[in-house]
Formats: sequence, C-alpha cells, structure tokens
Amino acid sequence: MSTPGFHQRIRFSINGRIVEREVPVRQTLADFIRDALGLTATRLGCEHGVCGACTVIVDGASVRACLMLAVQADGAEVRTVEGLAQDDELSPLQKAFLDHHALQCGFCTSGFLMTATDLAAHGAGSNETEIREALSGNLCRCTGYANLVDAIAAVLKEQAAKRE
Amino acid sequence: MDRPGTTAKFVGARVRRVEDPRLLTGRATFVDDVRMPNALALAFVRSPYAHARIVSIETEAARSAPGVRAVLTSPEVEKLIPPLRMEHRSSFPAPPCRSVEWPVLARGKARFVGEAVVAVVAADRALAEDGAAAVEIEWEELEPAVDPERARESGAPLVHEEWPDNVFQKVEFAAGDIEAAFSGADLVVSERFRTGRHMALPMEGRGIVASFDPASGMLTVWASTQMPHVLRAEIARVLGCAENSVRVIATDVGGGFGLKSHVFPEELLAAALARELGRPVEWIEDRREHLIASQHAKDQIVRGELAVARDGTILGLRAHITCDIGAYTEYPWRTFEANVTAMAMPGPYKIPAYAYTTVSVATNKCSIGAYRGVGQPIGVFVMERLIDIAAGRLGIDRVAMRLDNMIPRHEHPYTTITGDQIESGSHRECLQKAVAMMADDRPLQASGAVRRGVGFASYIEMTAPSAMVWQTLGPPGSGSEPAMVRMETDGSVTVALGTNSQGQSHETVFAQVAADVLGLDPANVRVIQGDTAATPRGWFAGGSRVAVVSGGAVIRAAQKVRDKILRAASRMTELPAAELDIRGGAICRASDGAPLAELRDIAEAVWIGRAGLPTEEDQSLEFIARYEPPPMTHSNACHAAEVEVDMDTGIVKVVRYAVVEDCGTILNPMIVDGQIQGGVAQGVGSALYEEVVYDENGQILTGTLMDYMPPTAPDVPRVEIAHIETPSPFTVGGIKGMGEGGAIAPPAAIANAVADALRDLSPRVTQIPLTPERVLAIIEGKSR
Repeated sequence: MSTPGFHQRIRFSINGRIVEREVPVRQTLADFIRDALGLTATRLGCEHGVCGACTVIVDGASVRACLMLAVQADGAEVRTVEGLAQDDELSPLQKAFLDHHALQCGFCTSGFLMTATDLAAHGAGSNETEIREALSGNLCRCTGYANLVDAIAAVLKEQAAKRE
Repeated sequence: MDRPGTTAKFVGARVRRVEDPRLLTGRATFVDDVRMPNALALAFVRSPYAHARIVSIETEAARSAPGVRAVLTSPEVEKLIPPLRMEHRSSFPAPPCRSVEWPVLARGKARFVGEAVVAVVAADRALAEDGAAAVEIEWEELEPAVDPERARESGAPLVHEEWPDNVFQKVEFAAGDIEAAFSGADLVVSERFRTGRHMALPMEGRGIVASFDPASGMLTVWASTQMPHVLRAEIARVLGCAENSVRVIATDVGGGFGLKSHVFPEELLAAALARELGRPVEWIEDRREHLIASQHAKDQIVRGELAVARDGTILGLRAHITCDIGAYTEYPWRTFEANVTAMAMPGPYKIPAYAYTTVSVATNKCSIGAYRGVGQPIGVFVMERLIDIAAGRLGIDRVAMRLDNMIPRHEHPYTTITGDQIESGSHRECLQKAVAMMADDRPLQASGAVRRGVGFASYIEMTAPSAMVWQTLGPPGSGSEPAMVRMETDGSVTVALGTNSQGQSHETVFAQVAADVLGLDPANVRVIQGDTAATPRGWFAGGSRVAVVSGGAVIRAAQKVRDKILRAASRMTELPAAELDIRGGAICRASDGAPLAELRDIAEAVWIGRAGLPTEEDQSLEFIARYEPPPMTHSNACHAAEVEVDMDTGIVKVVRYAVVEDCGTILNPMIVDGQIQGGVAQGVGSALYEEVVYDENGQILTGTLMDYMPPTAPDVPRVEIAHIETPSPFTVGGIKGMGEGGAIAPPAAIANAVADALRDLSPRVTQIPLTPERVLAIIEGKSR
C-alpha cells in the first residue's frame, strides 16, 4: 500500500527484536505496530489520546501509541502486550487479571496491562487511591474498574513483599 | 432445578474465564484485527450541518486522489442498496409507528450532523480519508428541529418532509380508575424530569470487513455485532442474495451494551461494495464517527405524577413522556425507548391505576437506540424520585413508604397494572438488606461545605422478552434461542450457541451449564459462538436474555445427550438407565458412584452404531434444542448510594454504593458481580457525567472523549454486592437475566442521595446528569 508523502527509515527495538523499516512520516506508531508489524494486541479505542487502549511502553515510560508518530520511535525500545508473556507463560499482571476477573470484552485490556506494567516498573505502592489515579488515563466500559484495581494491587503488593 | 440425576457442581461456582488467555495475550480477533490481502478501506464524508439541502457534490478531485478506488454518492449507492425501511411485519398487534426511509447515503438533504453523504473507497483508510477531504459539497442550510418539544409544535421544521408533523409514534395507555385515584388523593406529586442523551460507548467501535468469493458466491463478513444471524439476514435481504450465501463471523466483540444490536447503513454498504468491487472492503469507524453518528440513547422529558393517600399508599400514576428519537428510527427495530420507560415505571410497586402517553419525536440529531436497560433507567429514575418527594411532603419514612407499596413475596405471580406477570421476587427483602448495608454511625451531614446523603432505588428488571414482545418492537424475531450440544467420540463436548458474547463470558458460563448436566468438568466443554456457519440460527444478545434463553436451550440439548448416553450405557452395562449417572467423565452407578465404563467408550459406540440402541435412532450424540421462556422474566434489586455534595463547586462524589439483587439461579457469581460492578459504573456515568450535547443549531458539541465523559477509575465506587436467590418458577433452571440491571438504578439512587444531602434546601433534583453546574443551580434554587 502506498501512502503518498515523505517516508523515513527508522530502526528500533520492539519486544526485544530490532526492526528497520521505511515508514510514512505521517503514520502513527499505533498504526505502524498494528498494520506494518502485524502486532494487533495494541488496540485503537479513540485515536485522540483519551482512552488509553493503545498504551505501549517506549523507553520505559507508558505512551499513547496513537499520539506518537512511528518516526519518533526511531532508536527507541518499545514494548507491547505481545512482549509480556514469556514462552506462553502469563506475566504476573496477566495472571492477576485472569484471577481477579479484571476484563470482560477485553478490548481495553492491553492498554491497562501496559499502564500497569509501567506502574509496577516504577515501584508504585498498592494504595487503592493511587492505583485508581494511575489508571485514570485508561477507559474501561465493562468492568467498573474494581477488579482491575484489585488485580494490580495484588501484583504490586507481591512485588513489594519480594523487595523486602 | 431442572437437572435430573446430577448434583450441581459448576453452576454457582466462581469458575475462571476461558476467554481470558487469548484476550490477555492480545491473540483475540476483533474485527479490526482481521487482515485480508488486497483489502480496500471505506471512509465517509459526513454532514457538517444538522439540516441542510445538498446543492451539489464535486467528487472529481477525490476520484483522482492517490489510491482511491471508488467514490459514491446517493444515486450510485441506491443502485446497490435500497434505503433501509422498517415495516411492521409481525403477527402481533403493535401501536402504529411511522415508517421512515433511511438512505444509506443522504439523498437530497442531510438530517443530522454526521450523516454519511459520500463514500470513498481506497487502498487504506488514510488514503480514503484523503479522498474524502477532497470532496466538495455545496450546502443550503435549513432550519433544524432541535428541541423535541418545540419540534412538535405546528410550523416546526419537518425532519421528514412527507410527514405532516415530526411524530414517529404516539402511544396512549390507561388502566384502572385514574380520575378517581387523582381526585381522591391526599397528595399529588407532579414533576418534570429531564434525562441526558447518553451513549453505550463500547470501547471497540462499529466495524465490518466483508469479502466476496465470486467462485462460490459466498460473502463472508466479520463484524462487530451483537446479532450475527440477524445481520446475515439483513445483508442478504438488502443485497438480494440468498441467506445461505452470507456468513457472518463475530467471535471477539469489544463491548456492545445494546449499540451493536442494530444494523447500520455503513455495514450494509461495506458488504455491498465487497461484492461490487470484487475485493475485500473494511470499514472501521473512528471514535468521532462513533460519537456523532452511531447511535445515542435515552433522551427523554417525562412529566410524572403520583397520587398518594396520607399514609403513603400509592393510588395512581400518570406519565407523559417525550422522547427525542433523532432523525431515523433504530434499525431493524421500531422505536421503543419511551414505551419501555412507561412499562418500567410501576416497578415493584402495586399501582391500582396508571395512565401514560409516550410521544416519540423526530429531530435533526443522530438516532437513538438500545443502550443497556433501554428506557428502564429513566422509568426508575422518575418513579423513585416521585416516591422520595411524596414521602418528604407527607413526612413519612421513604423506606417504609416503599415497603408498604411493594408487591409482597406471597402475591407472586403478580400481574401488574400493565399486564406484565412478575413470576417471583424479593422486593422488600432487597430493600431491607440494602438499608441494613448502608446503616452506619456517622451522622448524615445536611449542613456545611460538604453534605452527605443516602438514596435508595428499587426496580424490576424486565429480562428475556418473548417473540410477542420483540415483534411488537421490531423485526419478525423470536423469543427463543437454540443450542447445539454434541458429545464427540472421545467424550469431549462441543456446545454451539445462536447468540454471541461482547464480554458477557458465554464461553465460560455455558460450559459450566453443560458440564453439570453431563457430569463433566467445564474444561471438557468447548463453546462455539458468533459464526453463522458454525452455529444454529439464533437471534441476538440483548435484553438480558442470553443466560435465560441460551441457558435453557443448553440445558435441554445437554439433557438429550445425557439421556441417550445413559440409554446406551444401560444396554452395555445391563443396568437400568435410572440407576446410572455420569460423574467426572465416567459412567457410574448412581447409588454409590462406582465406575462402570469410560464415557469415551459409550460415546464412540453410539457414533459407530454399536451401542445396541434401536436401529431407528440416529447414530449420533448431537442435539439441537430451542428454548423460549414465558413472556418475560424479571429480576429485581435495590441500589443504595451515599454521596458527598461539595456546596462550593457542585461536585458530587459517590462514596458508597450497595446493590442487593435477585436474578434467580446464579450461574457464576464472579461473572454476575462483574456485570453489576460494570453496570453501576455506566449508571454512575449517566447520573453524573455523561451527556451528548447539541447546541441550538443542532451542532453536536461532544465529538471527542474529552467532551463526552465516561467515568474513569477514580470516579466509580467499589460496589458492595449482596444476593438473594429466588429462582423463577417458570424458566428452565430457574434462571432470570441480569445483564442490564447494574445500569438501571444508579441515576435514581444517586439523584435521591443528592436530594437527601440537600434536603433542608427543598431541592428540585429532576435532571440527569447531575453536573456541577446543575447541582449549583439546585443549591441556589434556580433549578428548572
């Protein structure tokens, strides 16, 4: 498919794999990940930066892939949901989501997992108010959030216990 | 329970979801994940005006834009698809409703902001949008009909020029001696209530990918829908092809909440273009299209009047409902929002006389359609506010007034004033339990900068409607659903449903149901859904019907498999079938559980005709059963909300929320509680935050998620949930539906709590959402 306009060559790492591609400069990171790389776990819910479904981790920080251009990822390290489970073994967060019934339709789930991954990586506490605040940039229309909060709190608590 | 011979083991248990691993690892296939080589993308030019005549459309630049394959306006599209038109095709009598043509692309004029006017097909969505941007349309603006009450006045601009007025439907109902009730009342409470225009807003928008194979003549469609079999029939009908040459697949659907229980013009056009252009065509709407041009909901003005005696006894109820339908009626239904509100209003109360009028008005806005609970949240909001207002004026306790007027348990089955038969229920018990849950020692603060109040709301949830109910509302559909249950030669079981899930966990729950009947672990049962080529022909997921209807069908079909297995096992073990059971995947003696044979051996023997069954019987362990419950089933519940109102900012915070509900037999409490928590979150949105706003020109002001605001994690309280289980005496398994309930009562409970917090100000809490601006107006006594 040919999109007119400028193209630029980018090279970056996605889930530990180095990717080098020619990308249209106007293409978002989300479209690039989904359409060019076929990694469809990153979902598009609003494409204007509010719903958080497309959240990915770029250089250690959670980012809305719909608000970032693919060319801006040049040289970066990107993680998506496809990079969470190792050898089909669910990550602690994925396992906690399953145990706590933290998803229904599952469309927003990838975004919540990546936001929570960022939260866990930064050593956040399991205080409910703080977790809710941290999740306020992700919309879920099914669950009413309580089970999402519980799942994430359980992982953060376990992580804190391990650190001590 | 209708489950002979087995002890329930998995029904009622918190079985974890089999859907989750694929969703958690991103391997689910939502419609936008379907990758077809050579696919074309569809985008639309949409009307920027609420009401405007199309003077001319210039498409040349678009046609020659890079990657553009086709540009279509109304005349080209109408060669492919006629305008949608909902005709009443039911054998059941229904109130007349004006039928309206809904052109796939606007023809002559546009009737709402966002109506599709030009379709552009290109190599990808970005190129299609480039093409759309190159289309030039000359418009002549017309005066729009925006306010639904003004739109009824003579001289108002006509949305549909061939009509004498803007009324889709007017329905009048009266039962009991309404005049005597009101003239003999000690108190008549009369209020005008206004509810916001809301949206279902599933996180996945609408979308379709259609692929036509000219060699076989098969059109295969992946769609984000709650009704794959209905969509298939509609596509065949409008394309003029046989239903058996259309296959609809909708296995992973990212939420629906009613919005996807419709068929949309864009979907039909994508299907038509795939056939016409000979290449796959995809249309994945963006969020702006979703917000302005998919489907809104619940926009009503209700004049409610309650006649009561001095002791609080309800003598009569009157309602006049004006519903702002928008430009077209939801397809393929007839409009029913306002009539469901009217039906819901009596709730769990004994009402001796009731009269209502509903008027469904056309305006220059996006159409409204089904959204979780349809009109029920509004009916409950009005009724529960009227009761609180009446109790306050009479100086009696609002809980006592409710208890005294509720249908007592022993009077079930109870026929309501509208003729609805409530089979069983626990109205008083739910309310009493909710009151107990909310009791605490803290004084309810009714002064100071932050005031605290508590509100209650009781309701009956109308679930699993029958053919009669559906057909008076829309297309010639059935109240039944099928299920196919097949035991394979190795003893594993496949269940195929006529319904599909949008997050409601059908794959888990119906495996539990079948497992119990067949004495298996649910891990040995696989549930197939959402593919018309692999499932028996069903109807749709909506109206809180699937647990009841598909559940009943699964139980019945599984029982047939069970009976046949036991008859075969009886031949092979030479023991009477009644003395046999299936447990843990083995045939055993019922009396002591002693294993007698492997299930796989019996199953294989049946399939290959060596089980010694009568020769006239099929050599099969595959059965389809259909189930249609009685006219309607009814769950009931009471919600209680505690709020804090900030007197300076008008911000309302829900600090506690309790739900006591009774949905009969609970299939999986984890799923039920999840539905309640999620439903309440949507209801909190309706009560406090969410509103589609149009200005006086009919321009929509809520075109992004920064303007239309569903609640986020900090906004939604953790719901404290309690269950009372009163199985339905009429349904298979005692199941009642409950999927919509969580969203039905929050506006009522929260509005009552706000009124309670402000009680010394004689507040007029009559409009939702209760935005800070509206709450400040109430506090300042300016509420209207």
